[in-house]
Amino acid sequence: MLYLVAAILVLSTVLAGCGKSNSGNGNTPATTAPPAATDNGAESTEAPDDGKWSLGDPLSFTMYSHYNGSDFPVWESTPAGKWLSENKDVKIKMITANGAADQKLASMISSDDLPDVIWADKNHPIMEKLIQEGKVIAYDEYLDKYPNLKTWMGDNLNMLRSEDGKLYKFPNWYSGNPSGNAGYVINKKIYEELGSPKLETTDDLYNYLVQVKEKYDGKIIPFEPHRAVDSQGLGVLYTAFGEGMDAQYTFLHQSVRAVPKGDKLTSLYTDPVFRESAKYISKLFREKLIDQDAFTHTQDMVKEKVLNGRVAVFAGASPTDYAAEAHREMIKNDPNSGYFMIWPIRKEGLDKNKIYPGTYTTLGWNASYISASAENPEEIFAFLDWFTGPEGQNLIFFGPEGQYWDGFDENGMPNFTDAYDQDAVTKTELDNVPITINGNTGYINPAKMKYQTQVPVEEQDWLSRYQSSITWKTQFDVTQFINLDPPTDSDLGIIKTKLDDLHLKVYADVMTNSKSDEDVDKILDKAEADAQKIGYDKLLEFRTQKWQENVKLINSQK
Amino acid sequence: MSQTTAEKAHTSLPEHRVPRKKSFLSRLARQWDIQLMVWPGILLIFVFAYLPMYGVLIGFMDYSIFTGARIWENPWVGFKHFQDFFNAPEFLTIMRNTLAISLLKFIIGFPAPIFLAIMLNEVRHMMFKRVVQTITYLPYFISWVIVAGFATSLLSTDNGSINILLEKLGAIDEPINFLSRPEYFWSILVTSNVWKDIGFNSIIFLAAIAGIDQHMYEAADIDGASKFRQVFSITIPTIMPVIIIFMILAIGSLLSAGFEDILLLAVNPLLRDVSDVIDTYVYRIGLANFRYSYAAAIGLFRSVVGVILLVFANYLARRTGNSLW
Amino acid sequence: MIRLSFNDRLMMYFIYAFLILLSVTSFYPFWNAAVISFNMGSDTAMGGITFWPRAFTLENYQLILKDSRLFNGFFISITRTIVGTISAVFMTSLLAYGMSKSHLIGRKYYTIYFIITMYFGGGLIPVYLLVRSLGLMNSFLVYIIPGLISVWNMIVFRTFFKSLPVGLEESAQIDGSSNWGIYFRIVLPLSGPVIATLGLFTAISHWNDWFIPTIYINNDNLLPIQTMLRQALNSNIIQESSGALDSASLAYLQKTRSITSKSLQMAMMMVVTLPIMLVYPFVQKYFVKGVMIGSLKE
Repeated sequence: MLYLVAAILVLSTVLAGCGKSNSGNGNTPATTAPPAATDNGAESTEAPDDGKWSLGDPLSFTMYSHYNGSDFPVWESTPAGKWLSENKDVKIKMITANGAADQKLASMISSDDLPDVIWADKNHPIMEKLIQEGKVIAYDEYLDKYPNLKTWMGDNLNMLRSEDGKLYKFPNWYSGNPSGNAGYVINKKIYEELGSPKLETTDDLYNYLVQVKEKYDGKIIPFEPHRAVDSQGLGVLYTAFGEGMDAQYTFLHQSVRAVPKGDKLTSLYTDPVFRESAKYISKLFREKLIDQDAFTHTQDMVKEKVLNGRVAVFAGASPTDYAAEAHREMIKNDPNSGYFMIWPIRKEGLDKNKIYPGTYTTLGWNASYISASAENPEEIFAFLDWFTGPEGQNLIFFGPEGQYWDGFDENGMPNFTDAYDQDAVTKTELDNVPITINGNTGYINPAKMKYQTQVPVEEQDWLSRYQSSITWKTQFDVTQFINLDPPTDSDLGIIKTKLDDLHLKVYADVMTNSKSDEDVDKILDKAEADAQKIGYDKLLEFRTQKWQENVKLINSQK
Repeated sequence: MSQTTAEKAHTSLPEHRVPRKKSFLSRLARQWDIQLMVWPGILLIFVFAYLPMYGVLIGFMDYSIFTGARIWENPWVGFKHFQDFFNAPEFLTIMRNTLAISLLKFIIGFPAPIFLAIMLNEVRHMMFKRVVQTITYLPYFISWVIVAGFATSLLSTDNGSINILLEKLGAIDEPINFLSRPEYFWSILVTSNVWKDIGFNSIIFLAAIAGIDQHMYEAADIDGASKFRQVFSITIPTIMPVIIIFMILAIGSLLSAGFEDILLLAVNPLLRDVSDVIDTYVYRIGLANFRYSYAAAIGLFRSVVGVILLVFANYLARRTGNSLW
Repeated sequence: MIRLSFNDRLMMYFIYAFLILLSVTSFYPFWNAAVISFNMGSDTAMGGITFWPRAFTLENYQLILKDSRLFNGFFISITRTIVGTISAVFMTSLLAYGMSKSHLIGRKYYTIYFIITMYFGGGLIPVYLLVRSLGLMNSFLVYIIPGLISVWNMIVFRTFFKSLPVGLEESAQIDGSSNWGIYFRIVLPLSGPVIATLGLFTAISHWNDWFIPTIYINNDNLLPIQTMLRQALNSNIIQESSGALDSASLAYLQKTRSITSKSLQMAMMMVVTLPIMLVYPFVQKYFVKGVMIGSLKE
């Protein structure tokens, strides 16, 4: 027994030694890059005209995604990462937070030991601090040398600049074209069984839901809004009540929580459009026409309901994810079943072309930041830039060149080969989603559409079909509303947090607990009073100012 | 029995000071071997617990993580963060929830494993006993994510088993949205907690009971005492010291009412008023916003209260002869 | 066999009923997780899996076992648990034995010194910076050294040691044994249940820990399987309200969050949790009767 113990102790000492000798390499893998890297003049202190980095030059760096709910998977476990690692010697070591992102990043900051690239919300307060403290590299000197980002993003790039005028953020999903999948998905079988009624206005929707409840009481959920705590379907329904800037999905979001009137941002709770939508939605709740578990169920539970065809109408920020998968499975058993999408629901009397269930920004929501301690910032930027260009995007969405695509046509779109297999392509895209560090929708959306338009409607990918016919036409550009948050530890920041708390409670309350329209008014009146007490109008003032600054900046680009 | 050198010096007469001092040192020297048992531990704790102890000061500053260990670079703000906390509108709600949830978990969750251990001890069928022991300790290993997922499913209005059961029994007409109603939250939380930890927490008591001298039971049998009686007159009194020690420790953590379980079960914002406790508040307001000092101040507040409770509990326990010191 | 009184029979019925109910409810989620792990992921998403797989498959386990990092992770987890537990139990119990001696000079102060650390601490950043400065970053020893002393365990050990009859030690001393000798040859062997119990707790906490590797280890070779499990489960851990400003980005965030199918997650959970759960039955036999803990003090 003692020998066993001794053996183990020896073993652990060896391990301890092992770990330590590796730690020299583990922390800064960039330094283990073979000497070839320095041949390309990787030192950022040297003049850039010493040679450019291009794909194929060895590159390795560390990367970290600052989220509690997701991390980058092992680079080589994704198709794109594997290909790049094996064929082009691009190796990225992922640092993971495993659910403890705040603690992980705080630790790294406190010891000044940051990963080479941090991928975080582009307005994240801690990143702003890092920029202030000089811990982040500016990209300005690289923009012309590696021009993909500049070319494809155009002047919108300027909206990403920080207070000092420099660019520190490499956006993740930028585009001049609308993108997004928000809208209404309808269960085909149920729809036909109920006589395929007109589904265009909120009254139509209401009547339809009543019909569903009467016929299928309990077995089918009339209206499924996904997870209401994330807004989702309820946010989509809200947009049915206002045209254009009168009602947008984003107005409910914590970074806005206001309704623009003229050039001012005004209170959400006194807004008549919001109130009307609240009365409508609360009626649906009262009459059990909407999933009663909307505020508690998990993602898995929602997915289950959709996959099993137990919802009649499904709305959310991207109901298409589950619906597309469900549709594929359902038509295998019954070709007549499945889901389809409809043009956005609107209140009677509103212009159907001015209703937008979803929103997008031209700047994406995340950004890649290169830390000042990176050994090879220029090369990293060069890689990010390649990644965002047509070649990189093709790799992510279609796979490596030579397989499903080969070369580019006269429009700069990929030439698809005869071997093109939509299922395999969809799978590739899905498998690469976790490492889609940046996406260039201005390029990739038309590229995807190029294939789809070559193919008859029945063979078109379900998602692509509805994206091109409905959703991409009905998402609204809300770029002007970015960056409206005050610093978190300021007084305004504290007001914002209190308001967020209040709003969540009020929202759930007014939707699920109102007993009548008067009740809705009462709850929202009190909400307004409480919000004012917290300092809502000060926050609105601050946000109005920042919003107008954005508007000016955007207008000056035109 | 231990007295510092200073005390010794005061109580001794000048002519005896030298021999007394030698006596202390020589006493110390004579017990070098047990001191040697203790000092590595003292040193380890010094390094890993006391060296970082300057962190308690973070709550009194506007700490920026960029300063790392150089905390003197941060501005001193005294009790500002504590005041902010006490003046926060949610303060009373948070404290009430924390204490209520903690007390409920204690009142139900502390005796439960003890009863389980006692019950298991009464089981004569060895196989059954071992199987039950092993099975009841499984839930401890299931993460809260999974347990909360189960609970959400069970309690949902759409095909949730509990609602279906209640409707079948005729107890209700319409499904109850349990996880949206504040009045049910504490029950759901405490029940799931007790269920999850009861088996694991009973282990220590099982170990204690295993050490009871069997002869006592045999003697009681001969005296005609029923098993039921024996539990109360032999089993419980014998493990009382263990129970009391654990109770003292539990009372010291009264302000730790839970975190992951609450976060995962109180998804509906309507539950916020009954579910928000110190840990969830700090997570939401403090850490997520990098208000590190604020979070640290609240943590310090909790520690101080914890120590006070601990001392108080220990004082009470000392009357029974079992105490930490 | 002594005839049971009515009270007793009632008590026994109640006990058996309760134990069975508890066992069934405790076992079911676990069984369900196992069943799901043997079910095809695409089928699991449809819900409704309860007592038996509907679309049986080994694919989830095959996927996991193919990952070579897994074996390394297991190796690390096992080594850490064994080394960490043995060393911590030894150090802490030694400390506790010394502390149990009522004639130990400074005893009261030492006790307060230790107990303070149960309530007051520097917090994550100071500890992290300290560990770093000691050179323990990315080192296997970061799993072992900081955890050598657990004050809580020390208190339990001490309570137990204090309850041992003084006579045992006195007779050993008369025979010329030193304190250390008594500790190793008499006290430790008698401490079966306590060592088993606290050893079990320590082992479990070593096995389950994913946080220390997250903060202190970047070297993949030193990651335990628990961290790997966490990496895979991550998409579901805390569904915080999304930071997405617009619906397009919420849509995207949603996609990255449910990459790993539930079946795969359950399979990983089983793989990671099963080993430590199997330890308990082995430890049970140490709860042997005949040793005194908390028995009437003399």
